Amino acid sequence: MEASLEIPKGGFSFDLCKRNAWLESQANYGSSSIIKKAKKTGTTIAGIIFKDGVVLGADTRATSGPIVADKNCEKIHYLAPNIFCCGAGTSADCENVTEMMASNLTLHRLNTGRECRVITAVTMLSQYLFRYQGYISAALVVGGVDSTGPSLYTIHPHGSVDQLPFVTMGSGSLAAMAVFEAGYQEGLERQPGIDLVRAAIQSGIDNDLGSGSNVDITVITPEGVQRFRNLDKAEPKYKSKNPLFYPKGTTKYYDEIISKVAIIEGDAMEQ
Amino acid sequence: MSITEYNGGCVIGMAGKNCVAIACDKRYGAQYQTLATDKTKVYKMHDQLFIGLAGLATDQQTFYERLKFRLAMYSLREERLIKPASFGKMVSTLLYEKRFGPYFIEPVIAGLDKENKPYLFSSDFIGAPLLPDMDTNGFVVAGTCTEQLMGMCESMWRKDLEPEELFETVSQCLLAGQDRDCLSGWGAVVHIICPDRVITRTLRGRMD
Amino acid sequence: MGDSDYSFSLTTFSPSGKLVQIEYALNAVAAGSTSLGIKATNGVVVATEKKVSSPLVDESMVKKIAEIDNHIGMVYSGMGPDSRVLVAKARKIAQKYMLTYGEPIPTNQLVREIASVMQEFTQSGGVRPFGVSLLIIGSDDKGPMLYQVDPSGSYWPWKACAIGKNMVNAKTFLEKRYNDDIELEDAIHTAILTLKEGFEGQISENNIEIGIVNDQKKFRVLTAAEILDYLGEVE
Repeated sequence: MEASLEIPKGGFSFDLCKRNAWLESQANYGSSSIIKKAKKTGTTIAGIIFKDGVVLGADTRATSGPIVADKNCEKIHYLAPNIFCCGAGTSADCENVTEMMASNLTLHRLNTGRECRVITAVTMLSQYLFRYQGYISAALVVGGVDSTGPSLYTIHPHGSVDQLPFVTMGSGSLAAMAVFEAGYQEGLERQPGIDLVRAAIQSGIDNDLGSGSNVDITVITPEGVQRFRNLDKAEPKYKSKNPLFYPKGTTKYYDEIISKVAIIEGDAMEQ
Repeated sequence: MSITEYNGGCVIGMAGKNCVAIACDKRYGAQYQTLATDKTKVYKMHDQLFIGLAGLATDQQTFYERLKFRLAMYSLREERLIKPASFGKMVSTLLYEKRFGPYFIEPVIAGLDKENKPYLFSSDFIGAPLLPDMDTNGFVVAGTCTEQLMGMCESMWRKDLEPEELFETVSQCLLAGQDRDCLSGWGAVVHIICPDRVITRTLRGRMD
Repeated sequence: MGDSDYSFSLTTFSPSGKLVQIEYALNAVAAGSTSLGIKATNGVVVATEKKVSSPLVDESMVKKIAEIDNHIGMVYSGMGPDSRVLVAKARKIAQKYMLTYGEPIPTNQLVREIASVMQEFTQSGGVRPFGVSLLIIGSDDKGPMLYQVDPSGSYWPWKACAIGKNMVNAKTFLEKRYNDDIELEDAIHTAILTLKEGFEGQISENNIEIGIVNDQKKFRVLTAAEILDYLGEVE
């Protein structure tokens, strides 16, 4: 019985909730301080529809409170060969919700023998998020090209959906939207489209503290997908001309164990 | 004080050239009172794969037991050693399963893969993976002095450290970091994972 | 499975120690159209007859070889509807593994999981065994693999193998033709020749199906045009 409990059955497990609630009720360590450590994306994410398809953009900063946890994370996630998704909010939620959706869309594709539609992904995502009443904090920009042409949506953590020709999300959404409002036109060509999204993300990076580092861009057209990782790179950090290093013997240790790694020929050692 | 800081402690992982290091402090406390000075937080999963768990000690223990079980089941079922990347994903999945009632721990994983390429992984307590860029940021940190450790690593880490250089770098980063944290300390244990051997050294630190 | 008074397993031992239900299931397999597989050095192939009950059936829409994941494919002999249940389960198993370990499922693990599903249907209440044998092909770190799974839940890795109506003759043929350093292109030719041996009527690109896993570990079903080319080559 114990063993069978360890077999993953999918879904969430709530068995620590009561204990955690009790811990939080104890005097010295309030609940707020427990929660704030979850990694957030902070984030500026944006997307536009241009003449032939969709451009998605994102910054690459992940934060843990005021600390930059990751300077170059990836926020544009794969959903299907023709659909991609930018995620903002709690990092773990964005990562898992998109991965689960990619998996479900693969099954959908295999079982129907057809390419997925963007609206299928959006509907499945919004139903999932609605079911959790906003507790799964993922704010998404979903873009792709299907048999109906290019389409672009945003999904809020509570499950509401918007369909617009240009969208932004995350803490830098206002900065990015200002750029779109000033520069967006219908029927934009490819390069001006990419440049507009670049500028929007850069605006988020510069003006919003939750966003930072580099610009990632993904362009989806009926001909295929082009992914630009770190299209614009932040200034590399300062490097001293005389790099610091500790000479050998700096660190004193009083015990040393060297365990030889057994090299077994054949299968046993194979990973 | 956050519950993740109740027992104190920290873990650090760092990549070198065909080698990788993982280290931790040895303090075990209850808030500001130190209860033990020999609590290491790094566990061996197999010869080339180690995990360090920072955070609430009771959850470290439970989580480690569950990991051991899952890993044993994996090895029996698949008749092979788990790849570091798969193990990272497994840890992440296990933590996210408890998204709404989490373990208060932060894992750090260090391992060498089949090509002897270093693998590093860390995550927050609900399993958001952080896989550092090995060319620019080959280090991960967790625990009660992450800010200090991150600062040390940012200045001291460089690419392609040889095992002995890696040992000095990771040790000094850890010692300097934990000296500015009253919840960590009392010496440290450093593991340097190389293709043919694992070097484990116990460091002297401030005992206050 | 079920909990009612009547939900005992239908698969029960005969006094001589046989499970006749499983043997009947194997009869259903033996009545099904022939499928075969060959493992090559740089890939693996499965091929099957696509027999339809009437010339009025639109063969182009009948599909017997299924993709399970990028790197794994499956074909059956026996009862089509039963196989579709297993295909759906296999696809889910593959996705679940990917979500847990972030790595594509190794062929042997997928086979083990599917075999245990089939075994469960020989011991559970209120169900009958699956009326299919499967050939599963895939490629992973250990190279290309070909497995056969039977209704009992037994499974074997093969270098080359056949199931279904003409399996005995096909196996004899394969034993003569197979060698350890056969390459994928040759294996496809041999597969077609083996099918051709026991084929009733004229073989064509429309009444056989071929699936391959190539050296890039990618599974795909060949198009009718590609099969036509191969048929031309073996003439």
